[in-house]
Amino acid sequence: MELTVRELHRALEAEGYICEDEVVLTMFLALKLQKPLLVEGAPGVGKTEIAKVLSRVFDTELIRLQCYEGLDENKALYEWNYQRQLLKIQILKESGCTDIEKDLFGEEYLLERPLLKAIRAERQVVLLIDEVDKTDQEFEAFLFEVLSDFQVSIPELGTIVARRIPIVVLTSNAERDLSDGLRRRCVFLFLDYPSVEKETRILQVKVPEAGPRLAREVAQAVHLVRTGLDLRKKPAIAETIDWARALVALQADGLGPEAVGRTLNVVLKNREDLETFHREMGVEGLVARLQDAAALPGRG
Amino acid sequence: MTTAGEAELREPSAWPENLARFAHILRHLGMRVSTAETMDGLRALQYVSLLDREQVRLALRAVMVKNRAERPIFDRVFDLYFAAPEEKAGRREQWRAERERRARELEEAEADLLSSVEASGQSWAERSRERLRLTEEQKQAWARLPEEEKRRLRELLARAQANPVNNPADLINRIIEGSLNFWHHHLMKQEQRREGGGARVAELTGDAEVDEVITQVAAQLDRDADESLLYRDMKEIGEGELARMSVLVRRLARQLVSRISRRYYRSHKRRVVDVRRTIRQNINYGGALFELRYRSRRITRPRLVLICDVSASMAPYARFVLQFVYGLAAVVRDIESFVFSEDLERITSYFGRGKGFAGTMARVMAESKQWGRATNLYRALVTFWAGYRHLLTRSTWVLVVSDTRTLAAEKAAAELGRMRGLVREIIWLNTLPKREWREHGTPVLFQKHCRMFECYTLAHLEKVLRTHIAWT
Repeated sequence: MELTVRELHRALEAEGYICEDEVVLTMFLALKLQKPLLVEGAPGVGKTEIAKVLSRVFDTELIRLQCYEGLDENKALYEWNYQRQLLKIQILKESGCTDIEKDLFGEEYLLERPLLKAIRAERQVVLLIDEVDKTDQEFEAFLFEVLSDFQVSIPELGTIVARRIPIVVLTSNAERDLSDGLRRRCVFLFLDYPSVEKETRILQVKVPEAGPRLAREVAQAVHLVRTGLDLRKKPAIAETIDWARALVALQADGLGPEAVGRTLNVVLKNREDLETFHREMGVEGLVARLQDAAALPGRG
Repeated sequence: MTTAGEAELREPSAWPENLARFAHILRHLGMRVSTAETMDGLRALQYVSLLDREQVRLALRAVMVKNRAERPIFDRVFDLYFAAPEEKAGRREQWRAERERRARELEEAEADLLSSVEASGQSWAERSRERLRLTEEQKQAWARLPEEEKRRLRELLARAQANPVNNPADLINRIIEGSLNFWHHHLMKQEQRREGGGARVAELTGDAEVDEVITQVAAQLDRDADESLLYRDMKEIGEGELARMSVLVRRLARQLVSRISRRYYRSHKRRVVDVRRTIRQNINYGGALFELRYRSRRITRPRLVLICDVSASMAPYARFVLQFVYGLAAVVRDIESFVFSEDLERITSYFGRGKGFAGTMARVMAESKQWGRATNLYRALVTFWAGYRHLLTRSTWVLVVSDTRTLAAEKAAAELGRMRGLVREIIWLNTLPKREWREHGTPVLFQKHCRMFECYTLAHLEKVLRTHIAWT
């Protein structure tokens, strides 16, 4: 699908992904330059969503490789179906066949893992390599080899070249520095927590029943909590959405002390952060600040 | 909106050269921009409107910036480099005039100093004048020296008598150079304190257009609040900046822990078959190895032992040490923290979850007996050995924060060596500037048994994490 920056922006919004020009242009360039898009940012700012929304925009399959410590080629690329190979050996032995090896490493015994699946896909797919900062350096080195050539070598089958270069999105929480080699191969995008305006728009799209006033107040309150407190885990966009939904379910038409008190655990999910909130801001404090912000529109 | 510098950018043949110079500036300011990225920049420009300055900026940023910290550098360079030609010409002219003024100032300073040597009227004066070779910094120091200090140095020269055996010109020159070096360092520090700026020194290229941008951006970065905080000696960070320092230290502490644990968990690509479990599992299949069982790697969390010097000599760094201890305790559940001066004291129990920084630290300072005393690392390590020996295992990382100034340094070094034999690694963050290590001697003693890093600014701490702990 050929499209312009503006068309891409419209398509993303149509799929419910609200973002700034910078995000769209960076995605657009990654597509045009056929380079992986490396998205870095705190948990819950919408990194993974980029891959999901791209798969919807291009109406294609999303193949996801979830990274973790100890992830290796067998789990990311391919494995031989050992059980089936053993069964085949038994059958061939009983039938007196001698040339067993030739049949054992065929396509039917190959277990495709996400990377190989993306490379062998008939049409262009979206490959999401999620939380790449959680892998080990060895795997990272292997990954950037695959991502530079979009081809892999399987000793028994030879070199497999991608039929269509997949759209690759890598996400990272920046828990550790990724190598220069991997960064160099990617187009880089840093996603920060959204502004109050952007989060209000997100809420209006995702929770339209909240109405513009409640959406604005929730977005403003989350912004105050994120910027005003030193929390172990800042509320993610998903939590903002959940908060708005919870308030709608409780038929709250605004963020008063009672509504905040009853729903706060939807936004702050560990005891320490709740204690920090009560100690340093408090329900009344948050509501007072919300009122101040409402009196000074455009703040935050 | 029009693209500043658009005349150059609109002309396709000018793109490669312009972008190459742009990338060159970025590199001189510490960004890692390779030729491949410059070429990507050229390709990216084909897909955006060159008349839209913002699109050009975003396109180049997408391919040239590779992490968050590089963004402000990129943006500042972009604003200055892709400015309107007349603005650039005006800036360059101003910069050139400033350079010429400075060169004149240095020439005058040198002439003034040499005439002071001559005016001493001593027998060695002529030889001293011939052999004196001043660096730019030394000339600068003389130019900015208060009149009072200049007068003192002139008087000193006038009093210096010739030695009948040896011509003292070289000795006198060394005294002059040493004095100017001291003043250069001192005046620079004073300036940093006054302006709240850092000590970023950008290397210049000799190309006026490029150098002008590099100098300006380096100066702007030094004025940037977070950046200057990173480069400032931590003992000079004021009350008003504590909150920002706290956030930075906490972030760095988290990175440190993540690096250490990652190194330790490193996996092997190939899994190892567990023969015993595999045979047992496959008895059902008549002994054919149908389902393999693998040995899982035993993951043991690394144990962190933090030993912080809170003696009198470390008092200026007390805030940093406290923030660092608190930051680490906040991100690692099973950290063991100790402070020491004349002896060692365990402070782990103070770091209960959910307590604020001020509350925790007020308690530690009120109840601990170690604050602000003399340092005896040897005694502290002996106490550690007697009471906490069980903490030292092959999965233990020991972090020491200290300026190495201690009584019984040699015995302390031997104790540290004993400790090194039992643990995975000892990392020493030394608040003493590296240039003073040899002079003090003690760092050299301890370096035999640990990896020691200069660490008196947050930038040092960040560098330790980025380059020394990550990939070694």
